[in-house]
Amino acid sequence: MTTPPPVLTPAGLEPAFDLATYYPMLIFAAVILSMACGIVAATHIPFLKPRNPTKTKQMPYESGMDPIGSARMQFDVKFYLIAILFLVFDVELLFLYPWAVSAYNTTGGWQSRYGDLVFLEILAFMVTLTLAYLYAWRKGVFQWR
Amino acid sequence: MKSLADVQNALLAGAVHFVLPEVVLVGTACLLFVLAVVYPRRTAAVGLALIGLTWAVALTYSVGSGETTAFWAFVEGTPYSPHLLAAIDPTGLAALIRWLALASGFIFVLLAWPEIQDHNAGEYLGCLLVMIAGSSLIGRVNDLVSLFLALEMVSIPTYVLLYLPLRGRGEQEAAVKYFLLSILSSGVLLFGFSYLYGLTGTTNLGALLAVLSAAHQHAITPMALIAILMVIAAFGFRISAVPFQFYAPDVYQGGPTGVVAQIAFIPKFIGFVALVRVLGLVIRPQDGLPFEASTTLIPLVLWVMAIVTMTFGNVLALLQDDLKRLLAYSGIAHSGYMLIGIVVACGLPGNSTPALSGVDATLFYLIAYGLMTVGAFALILYWNSQERPIRTIDNLGGLGESHPLSAALMTVFLFSLIGMPMTAGFAGKFMLFVSAFEAPVEPPMQNLYRILAVVAAVNAAIGAVYYLRIVGVMYLRDPLHPVSSARRAVLPLFAACLCAIGTVAFGVYPRLIADSTQQATPLVEVPGNAAVVARM
Repeated sequence: MTTPPPVLTPAGLEPAFDLATYYPMLIFAAVILSMACGIVAATHIPFLKPRNPTKTKQMPYESGMDPIGSARMQFDVKFYLIAILFLVFDVELLFLYPWAVSAYNTTGGWQSRYGDLVFLEILAFMVTLTLAYLYAWRKGVFQWR
Repeated sequence: MKSLADVQNALLAGAVHFVLPEVVLVGTACLLFVLAVVYPRRTAAVGLALIGLTWAVALTYSVGSGETTAFWAFVEGTPYSPHLLAAIDPTGLAALIRWLALASGFIFVLLAWPEIQDHNAGEYLGCLLVMIAGSSLIGRVNDLVSLFLALEMVSIPTYVLLYLPLRGRGEQEAAVKYFLLSILSSGVLLFGFSYLYGLTGTTNLGALLAVLSAAHQHAITPMALIAILMVIAAFGFRISAVPFQFYAPDVYQGGPTGVVAQIAFIPKFIGFVALVRVLGLVIRPQDGLPFEASTTLIPLVLWVMAIVTMTFGNVLALLQDDLKRLLAYSGIAHSGYMLIGIVVACGLPGNSTPALSGVDATLFYLIAYGLMTVGAFALILYWNSQERPIRTIDNLGGLGESHPLSAALMTVFLFSLIGMPMTAGFAGKFMLFVSAFEAPVEPPMQNLYRILAVVAAVNAAIGAVYYLRIVGVMYLRDPLHPVSSARRAVLPLFAACLCAIGTVAFGVYPRLIADSTQQATPLVEVPGNAAVVARM
C-alpha cells in the first residue's frame, strides 16, 4: 500500500487524512447527539413529556415582571451616537493596555529596537482619536436635544 | 553578513518611507475634517484637498524609482528575498498604482464640486482623500492585515460619501444596500484570510504564497481552495462580477452622480489589483503559482465568472432606460472583459515569455475603463440640473445641438466603451483578446482561452447596441424639455475633457501607458532592478 503524499495543515506538512485518527471524536459526537436527541424527545414527544401546567408556569418570565407594551419600540438615535463615542474610547483603552504593559517590560528585548517607533505610533493614534473627538464635539453630539 | 533580524529591522524601520504620500493624504483628510467644523467653506476645502494631493504627487515624483533601489538595498549581501519579509513592498505594481490613484483623486475632486455645499465639503473631500490613500496602498501592502486595512480605507468612506451629498429615498436605499453587502464581503474576505493565515502561519503575502506553492507541489490543500474561493467572492463584490453584482444597478441609480463615478472606478480598481496580488500573479513565487490551472480549478472558476459576468451585464444593459443603471450594467460587463487577463495570467507557466502576461492587459483596460466611465459620469453631472434632471436616456435628446462640445465628448467615451479603433477601449480590448489567443493550448484549459476571446468579441458587439442607442438619442432626437440656460459648473466638463484626451491619446498611441503596465507586471523579476522586464 502506498502512503498518500503529505498535505499542508496549520502545523506544517503532515501525513494525509486518516479516518482512524478521528474515531474517538466520532464516538464523542455520537454520545453528544444521542444525549441531545434524548432530551428533546423526553421533553417534546406527547406521551413521554410530563404535563401539569400551573398559572405561574404559563407566564413569559416565570420569576420576573410581566412585560409592559410592545417590544418593537424605536430608540432615539442619540443613544447610538453616545454608544459609538463610548466605543471609540473603549477601543482606545483596549489598544493602550497591551502596549502599556509590554512597553516598559524589558524582558522581550524589542523595546530597544522598536520602542520609539511604537511610542510615536501610539501618539499618532491618540492624536487621531482626539481629532475625531473634537469633530464630534463641534458637531454637537454631546448636546442632548 | 547581515542577520535575518537585522534585515527585518531595517525593512520595518524603512517601511514608513514607502508610504509617505499616503501619510500626507490621510493627514490632509484629518485637517479637512477639522476644517469642516471650524471654517465650513467649499472653496477652502477644495483648496486644501488639492494642496494635499499636489503634495502627495510631488513626494511621489521626488521618490521616483529610488524606492525600488532602496528596497533591494535592505537585503544586499544576504540570501533573503525582501518580498517574503517586508510589510510594504514598493516593487512591481506599486508605483503605477500610486500614480493612478493620485490622478483619479484630482479628477474626483473636480467632479465633487457641483455636489458639495459649504456644510459638507470638508467631510466629502476628507473621505475622498482617505479613499485615494487606501487605493494607493493596495499596490504596495504585502501583508494580509494591512491589505485588509487598505481595502477598508476605501470601503468605509464610501458608505459616508453615498449618504452625504443628498438625502432622498434613492440615496438611502443606495447607501444601505452598499453598506450591508460591503460589510458582508469584508467579512467573507476576513474569513478567507483567516484560513490562509491558519494554513501557512504567516500574514506576509509573499511568504504566504511561497508556502502555498511549495506545498501545492505535493498535493492540493482543500482548505486553501476554500479560502481562495472566499477571497475571490469578496473581491468579486468589489469588481461587481456576477453573482456578486446585485447591488450595482440600484446603487448607481440612487447614489449621487459624483460618488457613483468613484464607485464605478475605485472599488473595481482595488478589487482587481488586490486579486492579482493575492493570486500571486505579479511577483510570482519561486515554485510557480499557488493556484495553477493544471492542479486546481481556480482559473476555471474565474473563466466561468468572466463569461457569465460579461454576458449578464451586456444583455441586461440592453433593457435599461435609466442612464446610470445602464452604466452600472455596462460596468459589470467590462469587469467580465477585465477578468480575461486574470484568467490568462493564472494559466501561464512560470517559464513562458508571452508578449502579454494578461495582468498588463487587465491593468491597461482598467485605466481605459476608468477614463471612459468616469468621463461619462462627469458629463451626466455636467448636464444635470434642477430644471432638467438627467435620469433616463430620453433626457439626452437634442444635446447634440444644444451642447455640441459635451455631446461630442460623450460620443468619444461611448465609442471607446464600444471598442472603436483609435480609442483606449479598443486598445484595451485588443490587448485582452490577444493575450487570450496567445495563451498556451494545454490541458486542462485546452481551447478555453480562445473560447473566452470569442465570447468576449460577441459581447462587444452586443454592447455596441446600447451605447449607439445613446449616441442616436443625443444627435437624432428632439429634446423633451426646453434647454435650460442655468449656469453650470465647468469643472465636471473640464474633468471630462481630461478623460477624453486620455481616451484618445491612449487609443492612438497605446505605448504611452502599455509600457508602464508591462514593466509593472514582469513575469520574471530581476532582483535589484525590478523595472527591467525580463522577457527575452
